[in-house]
Amino acid sequence: MAEVSLRNVTKNYGALEVVHGIDLDIAHDEFVVLVGPSGCGKSTTLRMIAGLEDISGGEVAIGGNRVNDLPPRERNISMVFQNYALYPHMTVRENLGFSLLIAKRSETEIAQAVDDAASILGLGELLDRRPAELSGGQRQRVAMGRAIVRHPDVFLFDEPLSNLDAKLRTQMRIEIKKLHQKVRTTIVYVTHDQVEAMTLADRIVIMKDGDIVQVGTPLEVFERPVDTFVASFIGSPPMNLLEGKVSGGFVWITPDVTLPLPTVFSGKVAEGQRVTFGFRADNLMPKGHALTESGATADLSLTITLAEPLGAETMLLSELAGVEIQGKMLNPRPVSEGEVLECQLSLDHCHLFDTATGKSLR
Amino acid sequence: MLRRRPPDWLTLLMPTIIVIAIIVLIPLIFSFYSSFTPYKLTRPSTLWRWVGTANYERILSDLNFWAAFGRTILFLTIALNLELLFGLGIALMVNKVTWGQRTLRTVLMFPMMFSPILVGFQFKFIFNDNVGLVNNALQSLGITDVALPWLVDSKLALFSIAFAEIWMSTSIFAILILAGLFAMPRDPLEAAKVDGCTPWQSFRHITLPFLMPFIFIAMTIRSLDVARAYDIVQIMTGGGPARRTELVWTLMARTGYVDARMGIANAMGYVSILLSIFFTIYFFRKLSAARAELGL
Amino acid sequence: MSTIATDRNRLHRNRQRALSWAHFTGLFLVMCIICIPGLWIVLNSFRPTVEIMAKPPIWVPTFTLEHYRAMFGGAGEGGVPVFAYFRNSLIISVTSTIIAIGIGMAGGYAFARYRFRGKSYYFVGLMLFRAVPGVALSLPLFIVFARVGIIDTHFGLILVYVAMNVPFTVWLTDGFFRQIPKELYEAAEIDGCTRWQAFWRVEFPVARSGVASAAIFAFLTSWNEFALASQLTRSTGSKTMPVGLLDFTAEFTINWGGMCALAVLMILPALALTFIVQKHLISGLTFGGVKG
Repeated sequence: MAEVSLRNVTKNYGALEVVHGIDLDIAHDEFVVLVGPSGCGKSTTLRMIAGLEDISGGEVAIGGNRVNDLPPRERNISMVFQNYALYPHMTVRENLGFSLLIAKRSETEIAQAVDDAASILGLGELLDRRPAELSGGQRQRVAMGRAIVRHPDVFLFDEPLSNLDAKLRTQMRIEIKKLHQKVRTTIVYVTHDQVEAMTLADRIVIMKDGDIVQVGTPLEVFERPVDTFVASFIGSPPMNLLEGKVSGGFVWITPDVTLPLPTVFSGKVAEGQRVTFGFRADNLMPKGHALTESGATADLSLTITLAEPLGAETMLLSELAGVEIQGKMLNPRPVSEGEVLECQLSLDHCHLFDTATGKSLR
Repeated sequence: MLRRRPPDWLTLLMPTIIVIAIIVLIPLIFSFYSSFTPYKLTRPSTLWRWVGTANYERILSDLNFWAAFGRTILFLTIALNLELLFGLGIALMVNKVTWGQRTLRTVLMFPMMFSPILVGFQFKFIFNDNVGLVNNALQSLGITDVALPWLVDSKLALFSIAFAEIWMSTSIFAILILAGLFAMPRDPLEAAKVDGCTPWQSFRHITLPFLMPFIFIAMTIRSLDVARAYDIVQIMTGGGPARRTELVWTLMARTGYVDARMGIANAMGYVSILLSIFFTIYFFRKLSAARAELGL
Repeated sequence: MSTIATDRNRLHRNRQRALSWAHFTGLFLVMCIICIPGLWIVLNSFRPTVEIMAKPPIWVPTFTLEHYRAMFGGAGEGGVPVFAYFRNSLIISVTSTIIAIGIGMAGGYAFARYRFRGKSYYFVGLMLFRAVPGVALSLPLFIVFARVGIIDTHFGLILVYVAMNVPFTVWLTDGFFRQIPKELYEAAEIDGCTRWQAFWRVEFPVARSGVASAAIFAFLTSWNEFALASQLTRSTGSKTMPVGLLDFTAEFTINWGGMCALAVLMILPALALTFIVQKHLISGLTFGGVKG
């Protein structure tokens, strides 16, 4: 059993604190993704779990044991690095077996473990090559193989896919997910790409400026973002956000543009409160091109400034109260610039944030 | 957990510091002390007589010393500048070659690996007025009837020494500048070409700024070794004839070992050390600045 | 219109041709100047003394091994104990190189991998010790070594060369270690290595060729050094080859042929080693030092 827990963990470089007291519990076999913009402290947190950075304050425990002062080699973890960090002077076989060699396991045992890992990741034919002779995706696989060969308590991934091209990234994402299903182990995965976070994670930890902003399953953070930061960070395209004022059951964006206050929020907002109205592109669709859905809707008449056909759907860009907003057209037909479309906004999926604090009002 | 241990980097640097301290620092302190005494090797007791700055006053009022000092500065200025210029030219030429480049580069490195003393001997032989290659060739070709006194005439002797020095040290410039040219991204040059730069303009505004750090690395490495000229001069002319090619270093060696006047020689030594340190620090600063500018 | 275009094309073509001719000539001249002095020495080591001294010069050389025979024939011509010098040079250079690499590699690793205050000052300071002219250093060392009783010994000269080679070895190895991403030793640490194991199992093997170049450079520095060796060694038992070269000069005469033969003996190892290191040496020099 290897659950990972962080208690009030801080990190500072001199006077500069980059991680401010993080609390996090990761269950056994759970796949947790730390996600956030660069400089949010996610990598530092991962490296503190790995033992590559000193822990300035608080406590990190793996499997219930405090590991703050243990060197990496005594934490029984393995890690996949962004640039893979394969040993260039060793063959793939030697790379995979290195940790066991250091642990002084017998030759047959090493060979067995290497073969197992190689077959899981389909590395069989590459075993006698050196890293320089491998493609990016193959290196990535070797790095993962090196991580699993030892059956560690925890896998750590530090932006492992960011050096791959888009197509390969999607493919490796699936492989990582499959790998987790095959070798059930606790995984802590760091990325700045919210798509990776959404697709891989059992639970997502969203970080910003050295703090955890929200922890939840992918659906939770997508559907119930706690603040405007999460709302605009998670989901693609980012959530449309319009600032306005509550008055008489409506949110007044400008004197000309008003949106009905979604019923879930009535009673949670004060008259005259400044709020940010948020909705996703998926919930703004031209009439006749939406999924049939019951529930409250608001009608909007939008002048299209740009249409991006993606095949199955077309992204529609328009402007509302001086803010660029995005909608979506399912079963698309050609749309020309300047065309006026009658659209429906599904109010049940809208969000309301306090403008002053950015916090969700739900 | 409280660990009373020196940091790892200090432990790793310790052997270096100890070796340098024992072999270089302590002797330097000793020589600094002795430069304030009238120490003579032949009379050890003179080591304990303090004469203050008398040695320094003496060399600073000594015309021979100033002549040697001025000659050294002049020699270094000319040699370093020409080495840079030739090195740059050679690097540019080799860079343009399309085949056999590796061979040319290897050939370029040869002089770098010659012992300075060997370079001295080599050119002493080549410039020998009687059996040297240069005079033999000049006479056989009928350019001159008399044997030119390459190592005796003061101007010709300085020329010969400078030639040897430049022959030996141009390589380091050529090699490092060539490395810079290899590392240089092609896009800016191509963009400049399309934008209508003449070859000279693109060299002046794109290639040269990029090469600056490499030039300064070469200068820095070179400045660590300026005193190598001692070996060459010592062998080719020994500072003579009649002090015409005397440099600070040969003068110092003569004063110390031949005249056995260690105190005053050490005072001269300090002047020469300051000279080397000045060159080194100057180029190190230039190097850091150039590197920072390019974001290397 | 089209004739103007043709003319301009021709102009550029001619200029191109002239340039490439000048380029070739220039390069040829440079290579001649670099190669001829060395070749002249080699050539003369194979010529009889009479011919070297001949007036007017003889341009068609005759071949003889007389100088080499004299050199390797024990005491040699004029009693220059070449073998002893060669052995001294070899012992002193090899030993000092091994020690300097050990010490310098530790220092270079510290500069490449650790952050500490005043790092660049330490670095420049170290280099300044290297900048101290050999002659200037030889004066106090001569006195100190004489006192301690290690003048004219292998040990004394080895010490000096270690101190002389350490700063530059630090510079070079710093450059080589810096080229190795630090994730490599982090990966090794996670794979269960101690820092010590991580270094020897991963970083050192990766930097091996670089360290070898640094070693060869240190070796050549010791092999070629003259200013210090000429003062700190006196007898056959410790004189190195550069100092031994002086033995061929008598008061007014120089044994050119013998000297050339010894010179060839000195150059050969240097050239061979240069050939091996050239690539790595440059990358180490340009990567190391004064940043970060």
